[in-house]
Amino acid sequence: MWREIGDREAGKLRPNSFSNRIKSNRIQTLQLSNRKDIVSPHRGSVNSLQVDLTEGRYLLSGASDASAAVFDIQRGTDYEGGGVIRKHKCLFMVDKQHEQGHKYAVSSAIWYPVDTGLFVTGSYDHHINVWDTNTTQVVMDFKMPGKVYRTAMSPLATSHMLIAAGTEDVQVRLCDIASGAFAHTLSGHRDGVMTVEWSTSSEWVLVTGGCDGAIRFWDIRRAGCFLVLDQSQSQLGRRPPILKRSATIKGSTAKSLSASQSSFAKARTPQTKLMNAKQSPIGKIPVKGSLKQRLHPGMLSSQDRATAHYGAVTGLKVTEDGMYLLSAGSDSRLRLWDVESGCNTLVNFETVRLQTSKPIQLATSQNLALVFVPCMTAVKAFDMWSGKTSLTFRGHYEHVNCCWFSLQDQELYTGGNDRQILVWSPSRSVSDEDEGPKDEDNWSD
Amino acid sequence: MSVWNYVVTAHKPTNVTNSCVGNFTGPQELNLIIAKCTRIEILLLTPLGLQPILDVPIYGRIATLQLFRPHGEAQDFLFIATERYKFCVLQWDAETSELITRAMGDVSDRIGRPTDNGQIGIIDPDCRLIGLHLYDGLFKVIPFDNKGQLKEAFNIRLEELQVLDIQFLYGCSKPTIVVLYQDNKDARHVKTYEVALKDKDFVEGPWAQNNLDNGADLLIPVPPPLCGVLIIGEETIVYCSANAFKAIPIRPSITRAYGRVDADGSRYLLGDHAGLLHLLVITHEKEKVTGLKIELLGETSIASTISYLDNAFVYIGSSYGDSQLVKLNLQPDAKGSYVEVLERYVNLGPIVDFCVVDLERQGQGQVVTCSGAYKDGSLRVVRNGIGINEQASVELQGIKGMWSLRSSTDDPHDTFLVVSFISETRILAMNLEDELEETEIEGFCSQVQTLFCHDAVFNQLVQVTSSSVRLVSSTSRELKNEWFAPAGYSINVATANATQVLLATGGKHLVYLEIGDGVLTQKTHAQLDFEISCLDINPIGENPNYSQLAAVGMWTDISVQIYSLPDLSRITKEHLGGEIIPRSVLLCAFEGISYLLCALGDGHLLNFILNTSTGELTDRKKVSLGTQPITLRTFSSKSTTHVFAASDRPTVIYSSNKKLLYSNVNLKEVSHMCPFNSAAFPDSLAIAKEGELTIGTIDDIQKLHIRSIPLGEHARRICHQEQSRTFAISSVKYNQSSAEDSETHFIRLLDDQSFDLITYYQLDAFEYGCSILSCSFSDDSNVYYCVGTAYVLPEENEPTKGRILVFTVEDGKLQLVAEKETKGAVYSLNAFNGKLLAAINQKIQIYKWTLRDDGTRELQSECGHHGHILALYVQTRGDFIVVGDLMKSISLLIYKHEESSIEERARDYNANWMSAVEILDDDVYLGAENFFNLFSVRKNSEGATDEERGRLEVVGEYHLGEFVNRFRHGSLVMRLPDSDVGQIPTVIFGTVNGVIGVIASLPQEQYVFLEKLQSNLRKVIKGVGGLSHEQWRSFNNEKKTVDAKNFLDGDLIESFLDLSRSKMDEISKQMRVSVEELCKRVEELTRLH
Repeated sequence: MWREIGDREAGKLRPNSFSNRIKSNRIQTLQLSNRKDIVSPHRGSVNSLQVDLTEGRYLLSGASDASAAVFDIQRGTDYEGGGVIRKHKCLFMVDKQHEQGHKYAVSSAIWYPVDTGLFVTGSYDHHINVWDTNTTQVVMDFKMPGKVYRTAMSPLATSHMLIAAGTEDVQVRLCDIASGAFAHTLSGHRDGVMTVEWSTSSEWVLVTGGCDGAIRFWDIRRAGCFLVLDQSQSQLGRRPPILKRSATIKGSTAKSLSASQSSFAKARTPQTKLMNAKQSPIGKIPVKGSLKQRLHPGMLSSQDRATAHYGAVTGLKVTEDGMYLLSAGSDSRLRLWDVESGCNTLVNFETVRLQTSKPIQLATSQNLALVFVPCMTAVKAFDMWSGKTSLTFRGHYEHVNCCWFSLQDQELYTGGNDRQILVWSPSRSVSDEDEGPKDEDNWSD
Repeated sequence: MSVWNYVVTAHKPTNVTNSCVGNFTGPQELNLIIAKCTRIEILLLTPLGLQPILDVPIYGRIATLQLFRPHGEAQDFLFIATERYKFCVLQWDAETSELITRAMGDVSDRIGRPTDNGQIGIIDPDCRLIGLHLYDGLFKVIPFDNKGQLKEAFNIRLEELQVLDIQFLYGCSKPTIVVLYQDNKDARHVKTYEVALKDKDFVEGPWAQNNLDNGADLLIPVPPPLCGVLIIGEETIVYCSANAFKAIPIRPSITRAYGRVDADGSRYLLGDHAGLLHLLVITHEKEKVTGLKIELLGETSIASTISYLDNAFVYIGSSYGDSQLVKLNLQPDAKGSYVEVLERYVNLGPIVDFCVVDLERQGQGQVVTCSGAYKDGSLRVVRNGIGINEQASVELQGIKGMWSLRSSTDDPHDTFLVVSFISETRILAMNLEDELEETEIEGFCSQVQTLFCHDAVFNQLVQVTSSSVRLVSSTSRELKNEWFAPAGYSINVATANATQVLLATGGKHLVYLEIGDGVLTQKTHAQLDFEISCLDINPIGENPNYSQLAAVGMWTDISVQIYSLPDLSRITKEHLGGEIIPRSVLLCAFEGISYLLCALGDGHLLNFILNTSTGELTDRKKVSLGTQPITLRTFSSKSTTHVFAASDRPTVIYSSNKKLLYSNVNLKEVSHMCPFNSAAFPDSLAIAKEGELTIGTIDDIQKLHIRSIPLGEHARRICHQEQSRTFAISSVKYNQSSAEDSETHFIRLLDDQSFDLITYYQLDAFEYGCSILSCSFSDDSNVYYCVGTAYVLPEENEPTKGRILVFTVEDGKLQLVAEKETKGAVYSLNAFNGKLLAAINQKIQIYKWTLRDDGTRELQSECGHHGHILALYVQTRGDFIVVGDLMKSISLLIYKHEESSIEERARDYNANWMSAVEILDDDVYLGAENFFNLFSVRKNSEGATDEERGRLEVVGEYHLGEFVNRFRHGSLVMRLPDSDVGQIPTVIFGTVNGVIGVIASLPQEQYVFLEKLQSNLRKVIKGVGGLSHEQWRSFNNEKKTVDAKNFLDGDLIESFLDLSRSKMDEISKQMRVSVEELCKRVEELTRLH
């Protein structure tokens, strides 16, 4: 570290390279924090975690006991172990006891991106509530047609205040905080929508992932979706994708690539069966006829039927640079998509098993190009380009549902069915802790 | 200090980051264009050397600088892109000698991650497009249309994520780029792409080359007829094209810069990290490359850019040392070097640390910086003052006085220079060859010391010696009249003007004479109470030859008195107080105000405003100019009167806006000075100093003077110890001779006057000096140097072990008195309530200095505070501790005496990556962060809630555009109590680019006024390339961009003084303040630096 600081001082290391290098070094040493402890007040599985985007100071959690809680992650409430372990108790919690609280599980809890004055919770009780943080009162609520799986607000938006909501229903709804009404309904999915994610490069672009295995891109200014990701489309125009090319350079990657292709082939047969089974509920939807008209101009109907996963899409995450999309499916696959071309990059992630019944919340780190994925009771960090496991975080006793990576502090927060919220922070040399007692010995001399 | 801050550059950036050569100012003129981070300099090549044409600020940090020539143009255009994604194309307007903006724009994108390896900007050799690589995975293209105008830009996806370099290839029918990149496995390859402008995409290029040298970092495109590209690695150099591949091994080195010698691209200059300059030759036969050859030419500064000018002249731009103009000789010199350094251009960058010292205790700081890196490391002493341009000098010992005389009363020039010694007087004069030679004035008595000399009316000269006053004709040089002191009395002090002589003899007598044509008449005589120490009758009334008043300084009662002439009656008596006698008095008038200046024997100067009619003395002020007796003399420069105070710290006193100002003269001790305005040396001064007589002109403005002390190693930390009159520095020596680069770390002790190395202490292997401090502890009168270190082991990510070493300076030796091991790097050391405060990795720790039973001392840890990522920068004030964290902005801690503990009081919750902190006042703290911004935070102790009190409120934000390494309280100019600027507290900062800047805390009223002026100036002064000043100064980091607040750009405000009168009028109208008033207020600010 001293060497890097010295190099930065002398202008040998660019300041942005310096901070990126330090961040990367720290991320590599992430482990269960021995200094920071979040005291979870939840009595049900933790489904959603988010640190506010403005200050990076307040963690919002949503849990299956119909509660949502806010923690100050920068300032501890009390200390243990001689001031070394910092306890973070929640600043407040809203639960069933609250007169405006949710009745059933909170599946999604997000901050209003502009400030921490508001937060939004979505619940299995078919409601989306907008809360005033300071008074902990609901200032607005939206009645949804089914269980709410996921809500999202655009971190970039300057001209709209829309909450995108994925529910049991086939339609994605955009709830407008400014007016208190639904601004749009986006039709296209043939089954419930487990995950929604705004683009990080345009405030108008929304990505949704359905139980029908489709990932759809919407420009909310225009009718219909403009892109449906197709897992079989893997060519980037005339130029072969980087990995294929590097595969020709390197024998090793070529091997893994072919391995992944063969595994696709194997997987195909059973998965298509599943698809057929899922087809029947779609038939019931009356809006299907109008779907054709809503198609984005120039998009073929065959493209509209493309799938990204065999089975439900359970998690989506756009990388911070806005160039890639990661998706997780109930087929236990993780895919990396090139957003501009909509191509599957065919990175073979070494996932073992993913939860299938619930949406999962992924996190990414641009430094080191990592994606953090809840893999049953563990969280794994995969290298985004090679798909190899870089780090594994074991600490939860039951399935992990969500993770949030704070780049500002290089800390990972995870929540699981064991009702715990764990903090994973860069490891520190523990040596300086024992300095106190040792000096006390000198004292008595 | 306050929250209203004014930021101004005292020393401009000198780190040369880019340079290029072309015909910019005219089709026939060859120009060198240099980028110094936020400035560009345009120079013209002339037979006499490089002649500067223009030096302008750019509202951005220059990322790329390229000259290009669109089709059909006779001269080159300049393309500049800034780090904040703005670009502009500039053209030279020969008529107005200004830059015109041909095009400008924004090339930022919402998508993509900023490149880690620096921005790349390249222009197709056939001028079809500009290519930019700003974000990983994207290549931005700005196409030219047929008329050479820029069209709309678009992005092309670049799959290579870790791009090291991109260049356009020459001689391709379609624009083709070659990309040097690193893959996932850290192997390096090159690849070519054709840019298909119509499809806005790449097409696979003609060739690729895999698995290159692991250190390959630089591409050099080779122009036709050879074409292709050179790939410079650390161990090999490869020439690559569609049909040829040649490689040669080289001695391991990192090539930093290249310069093309021939237009056909067969020879290149390569500069490496050790400052060695090589010549690379591509041998070829019939346009077919047959091989490569490399030859060592010699050593230069470590080059960041190389521009081959013409006729074997090469410009070496450097980031780590002085930039140079070198000549490549055909024959090697004695040391085997072909490189001859013709000129050096000072570069202070990178200023890693500095200290402000007032070695003369004058209230004026001089800055001693740790500058440069590697072998080019040096200390630089930066001092503000007036320079003397020496024109002639003679060795002369023991000068006791000097006067210049004219050969006739109406001669505009001085002819004679009378130099008085203890037992003789010599007369120098200009001869016909304009040389100074000794001559004689027959009427003068040359066997004794002269007390005073002056021109007198009627072509006469007056000489006063201890026994007589002699009146001599200046034409015949013969004695005309002589007045003798009464027997038994000798003349002690004397003064004269054109018509009057006043002298004091022993026995407290004061005698007044008047000069007539050939006669000296004693008019009056008075006996005073005490002996007289000094006299003056400088005419300040309407008659320039006659004074109505005489000033007299007295022994014994330490007073200065004013007498009227000719009757010698006392008008005023002013006791000076103290026990130091007045040594020189002077009556003078500046801007219509009369002053009496009175210099004391201890280097203090008193000044009074003198009422010439009543003789009343008012407005007494005292300043310290030096430590030795001062002699005052007037001289005129640019037809205004100045006073020269000769002493151990020579000073010029002048007046501006009816205020007396003091400027240092950049000379060591001066004993005497007199104006010597001869025909050969017009407007010159004769200065007697240290056994030497110098004739030179004086600068009319004060500026920074830089003295360089080369170290040959990289100084990292510096501090000064007043008691031992030493500097201690922590430095690194790089040993590049051995196969593996190794480093040795030293603590060196230097004399604070001569900068000679006194002694050194070598640190252990792998032990780095991280911090250094001079301090004393409670219950111990000694002063110590404390050094904090870190053991930086190659396998460790973060140091886990360090030491605090406590030294005393004894007989020129560093004596290690105590040593304390720490559990990490000691990033910072501060003296704190008689204890030592250390920042060790994530912890703040207080150590007590305790006495052991055996009488030795040791550091004992008292208490600590956890909770930082890395506590890098620490400042203290009273019991408050302000910590700048690696990435968590500023936090405020307090030390509790009763509990002997440290607690956190408040912090700033922004995620600022800090680079320096300083305490402005009890409540306001200043920070500099990683992305070139400044900000200030304020403690909110009156907050209603714990949450409010626990938060440091951000009160000021500003984009400086410079990476600040250190803040220090202090001033570069003399701070005198009677000047307005003397009340304005200032902080000095030093940056990587060699900038020394000043942050001044202004009163709110002045801030509001200047803010208004700044916003008006923004409208009138347009940024080069149409770049916006407001955007440039907006706080900008990875997370946010917000408008600047509570910081003003002094560079912009002070450029008001350079505006044309019409533009000044325009602003004056907007401000509803007169131009004179505006100038006056801005001029006052310029005196801050």
